[in-house]
Amino acid sequence: MATEAAPMDEKAKRMRDLLSSFYAPDPSISTSGSSISTSFDNINSTSFDADQYMDLMIKKSNLEVLLQRHVQMAAEIKNLDTDLQMLVYENYNKFISATDTIKRMKSNIFGMEGNMDQLLQKIMSVQSRSDGVNTSLFEKREHIEKLHRTRNLLRKVQFIYDLPARLHKCIKSEAYGDAVRFYTGAMPILKVYGDTSFQDCRRDSEEAIKIIIKNLQTKLFSDSESIQARAEAAVLLKQLDVPVDSLKAKLLEKLEQSLDGLQINPEEARKLAKQNDSSNDAESDDQRPAKIHEDAVRGFSEAMRAYREIFPDSEERLFKLARALTAMHFESMELYIRKRVSTEDFLGIFRIIWEDVVLMDEVLPEAALSDLSAEAAQVTLKQYVARMFSHLQQDISDTLLKFGINQKEAVEGEVLKVVLEASKKAVLQGTTDIFQDFHQLLDENTGIFIKMKELIIGWIQKGFQDFFRSLEAQFLVLSGKTSSSNDTEGGLIEGKSSDKIHAGLILVLAQLSVFIEQKVIPRVTEEIATSFSGGNSQAFENGPAFIPGELCRVFHAASEKLLQHYIDTRTQKVSVLLRKRFKTPNWVKHKEPREVHMFVDMFLHELEEVGKEVKQVLPQGTFRKHKRTDSNGSNTTTSSRSNTLHNDKMTRSNSQRARSQLFETHLAKLFKQKVEIFTKVEFTQESVVTTTVKLCLKSLQEYVRLQTFNRSGFQQIQLDIQFLKAPLKETVEDEAAIDFLLDEVIVAASERCLDVIPLEPPILDKLIQAKLAKSKEHNNNNTVSS
Amino acid sequence: MQGGSSGIGYGLKYQARCISDVKADTDYTSFLTGTLSLKEENEVHLLRLSSGGSELICEGLFSHPNEIWDLASCPFDQRIFSTVFSTGESFGAAIWQIPELYGQLNSPQLERIASLDAHVGKVNCVLWWPSGRCDKLISMDEQNIFLWSLDSSKKSAEVLSKDSAGMLHSLSGGAWNPHDVNAVAATGESSVQFWDLRTMKKVNSIERAHVRGVDYNPKREHILVTAEDESGIHVWDLRKAKVPVQELPGHTHWTWAVKCNPEYDGLILSAGTDSAVNLWYASASSTDEKTSERPVESTRQRVNLLLNSYTDYEDSVYGLAWSSREPWVFASLSYDGRVVIESVKPFLPRI
Repeated sequence: MATEAAPMDEKAKRMRDLLSSFYAPDPSISTSGSSISTSFDNINSTSFDADQYMDLMIKKSNLEVLLQRHVQMAAEIKNLDTDLQMLVYENYNKFISATDTIKRMKSNIFGMEGNMDQLLQKIMSVQSRSDGVNTSLFEKREHIEKLHRTRNLLRKVQFIYDLPARLHKCIKSEAYGDAVRFYTGAMPILKVYGDTSFQDCRRDSEEAIKIIIKNLQTKLFSDSESIQARAEAAVLLKQLDVPVDSLKAKLLEKLEQSLDGLQINPEEARKLAKQNDSSNDAESDDQRPAKIHEDAVRGFSEAMRAYREIFPDSEERLFKLARALTAMHFESMELYIRKRVSTEDFLGIFRIIWEDVVLMDEVLPEAALSDLSAEAAQVTLKQYVARMFSHLQQDISDTLLKFGINQKEAVEGEVLKVVLEASKKAVLQGTTDIFQDFHQLLDENTGIFIKMKELIIGWIQKGFQDFFRSLEAQFLVLSGKTSSSNDTEGGLIEGKSSDKIHAGLILVLAQLSVFIEQKVIPRVTEEIATSFSGGNSQAFENGPAFIPGELCRVFHAASEKLLQHYIDTRTQKVSVLLRKRFKTPNWVKHKEPREVHMFVDMFLHELEEVGKEVKQVLPQGTFRKHKRTDSNGSNTTTSSRSNTLHNDKMTRSNSQRARSQLFETHLAKLFKQKVEIFTKVEFTQESVVTTTVKLCLKSLQEYVRLQTFNRSGFQQIQLDIQFLKAPLKETVEDEAAIDFLLDEVIVAASERCLDVIPLEPPILDKLIQAKLAKSKEHNNNNTVSS
Repeated sequence: MQGGSSGIGYGLKYQARCISDVKADTDYTSFLTGTLSLKEENEVHLLRLSSGGSELICEGLFSHPNEIWDLASCPFDQRIFSTVFSTGESFGAAIWQIPELYGQLNSPQLERIASLDAHVGKVNCVLWWPSGRCDKLISMDEQNIFLWSLDSSKKSAEVLSKDSAGMLHSLSGGAWNPHDVNAVAATGESSVQFWDLRTMKKVNSIERAHVRGVDYNPKREHILVTAEDESGIHVWDLRKAKVPVQELPGHTHWTWAVKCNPEYDGLILSAGTDSAVNLWYASASSTDEKTSERPVESTRQRVNLLLNSYTDYEDSVYGLAWSSREPWVFASLSYDGRVVIESVKPFLPRI
């Protein structure tokens, strides 16, 4: 087949080419598709030039090839001849058959016209017949149509008459939707003919509708119904043209009233918080207030959701309600934290509120409740942090003031020590607690906290800064050394209670300031650095909120100031004593000294008190007197030795040589190394006592300088000072300065004396011994009596 | 320590407590000072700052019969001054006149114009009418306050009015209000008291114990500065005298005297028994600012208030006086009789 098909194909192709070259004069079109190349040796091309082809052939080819070519060409020509003959024959056949067909058509078409005429006549007659039938049936059809209309009308009338019954039936089956549809359908008719023909009917159905409305309203109001049902009821009511707005108002009012029930009142808040925390382990107890609250809020939010669906135009109102609820929550929270609240409770309540907010936010996302509550929460939280600090401060000052330090106890007992320890503990514990609380705050994962973490850290840092600042201010207030230029309140504190403030308290405050500076602030700094660091954006504007360096400086200054204040109050007391001592007698007419004046006792007593207070509060200095231990035993020898030394000096100076003595003292001063009287006070027992003694002696000198003495007056001073020497050296570390100051007093007295004749050493010694014996006896008596 | 060598010194022979600016001397910056010696011949020195301001020259040296506890120069006549003196047993007060041509005399004698001899107790001070030519004087003893009228030509003084402060108060010094010539402040044992001279009655008081020195601010009305034994220096507004408007730490020991600068408002000088003179700046503006952020404010003030501390003294400083002619110059007098003139010019730019 395939072998036969190929020559057939070739043949057909050739024929087609030929035909096409014949029909299409443009050779480019006919040959473009074929594979034959258009070169001049293409024999099929139109531009084929036989002579040229022959020339080329002869030139190019040898004889053998030419011969081959000749044979091939002759064969091809023969082939072409037979092909052309075939073509002519085939086409001829076709012409013959076409002529035959035309001849047959010509004979068939004859007689067609007559048939067509016949057909036309028949159709005409059919038409006339059908018209006849139509006219004969017309009247009947008309009648039938009329009847049909009447029937429809009757059906409608029937419907209206049946309406009341139908409505009742609907009421019974609670198919209010149908009822409303029926009623609204009948409405136009009832409106037009209600007053005439269908009066009864209308009345009845209106009554029924009234019932329906009532039922629908109750349905709308009843909380037990599903929201769907209630929403439908609302829609139906709206269709019935019932004024829905008033209904809505009523409903919302009810919702508003239910707000009160949702309020967390501060008393319950604690319980709530507790319960909420323990809710995990006690699932069974449904009566817990937290649960109740949660249900209530859930109900509230459901109701809101419902109303929102029912009354789409009431959103504003609902927003308001939701906001009110949130605001109320935070308000009561604020009230709540006015009292002392543990962080756990605080967080518990916060969580509840947040849950509520989240619930409501789901219902009303457009109300921006979360933004609102975030703001409120910020405020509340900030207040809470501030309050925590103020509580801490309150605690500390309470601790300080709890022990009513009064004169006796402070000196006798260990009250100051106790107070100091207690307040140290209060500060340390307080800061630890507060840090714990803050940790809790930071660990809290309630949505809003996460957002506010940075802020909280900022507040905490700032809180600490403010706390320490106000603590320092409070210390100053407590010490009675308020910076004077305050409001009247500060003035009152200063004016009224400065006498009542015990010096010991000031000392405690001073030491506490040191403690805070050295221990607490570094700890707080460390804690903040580890747990509460983190740049809040404000930090970049104003620098870091918590500046430990500054606080340290503040407290350092405060401690120094307080210590100075302590010394001041103490010396002030002595000063009063001395003032009295020097104002009272007429020194110019003084009598001969008989004994050491009693002010010395009082002075020493004051110093003793200072010593005791200081011992309780301040640390011992590193520098200790070496002589102290051995001089304890040999009290009298020391004093007598110094007596003689001093008396040598004194005997040399008498009234005639007073002037030269002045020069002498000036000269002595020049050569003596200037004794630093006013050195810086350190936080050691010795330093404070020494400073106090120095200041008192300086005051003594100044008082002496203001008086004029006669001989006896001078001798009295000499005696008193001489007596003071030994006990003062006992208590004081800087003996040189004390010696110098005591001498200064004697010098001052001698300068202000009209007639300088010192007491003879034996008399001096005797009087001093007498005094010592007396005081010893006094002490013994005291110990016996006690 | 600081600024020790800058002062110009002058030594008196004996101990001394008081120094006064000679206000009426418009040609030179002069000071009057008197010695306090119980047993020796006491002297009054008229000192003049040389025109170059580098030297303190003794212009006149006059003997004074008794030790001088207080000395005040007359504001309108440079040759007149008052002293309060003590014989050791009794006190007295007198007005003196430096003789004319004192420079040419060998041992010039002071001329006693008047004796303010109405006192019985210990006289504390004599106050001159604060400014201008007026013949009124005030003298105080521990219990009484006297208003005198001085007639320098007739060489007499008579008591115009007097009032008793009462036994308990024991007055110790005072100041005459330069803004209201009818008001005088007096320091007492437990309070600062104010008299109205028209009625010669006590009108007001500040309850404050142990006030040593008091001075009105000459540039600002109602402002009073007090120096107290232990509690430093306080600035008061007399309209609200309950609480001081400002508090300065004062001295290590007692603050003895306090003086407001006559020209530069807020510049206060204090002398103390810790052998130091402190220069303070208590600006008025900072007291107003105080309402806001007090702690910060006050710490800042504490740092800045003390402009300088002059510590080049051997003994307690009792005498202190600003020069009214050169208001940046002050004279201080320590108990050992050393007068030191200092200039505060280096600190003026800081005000």
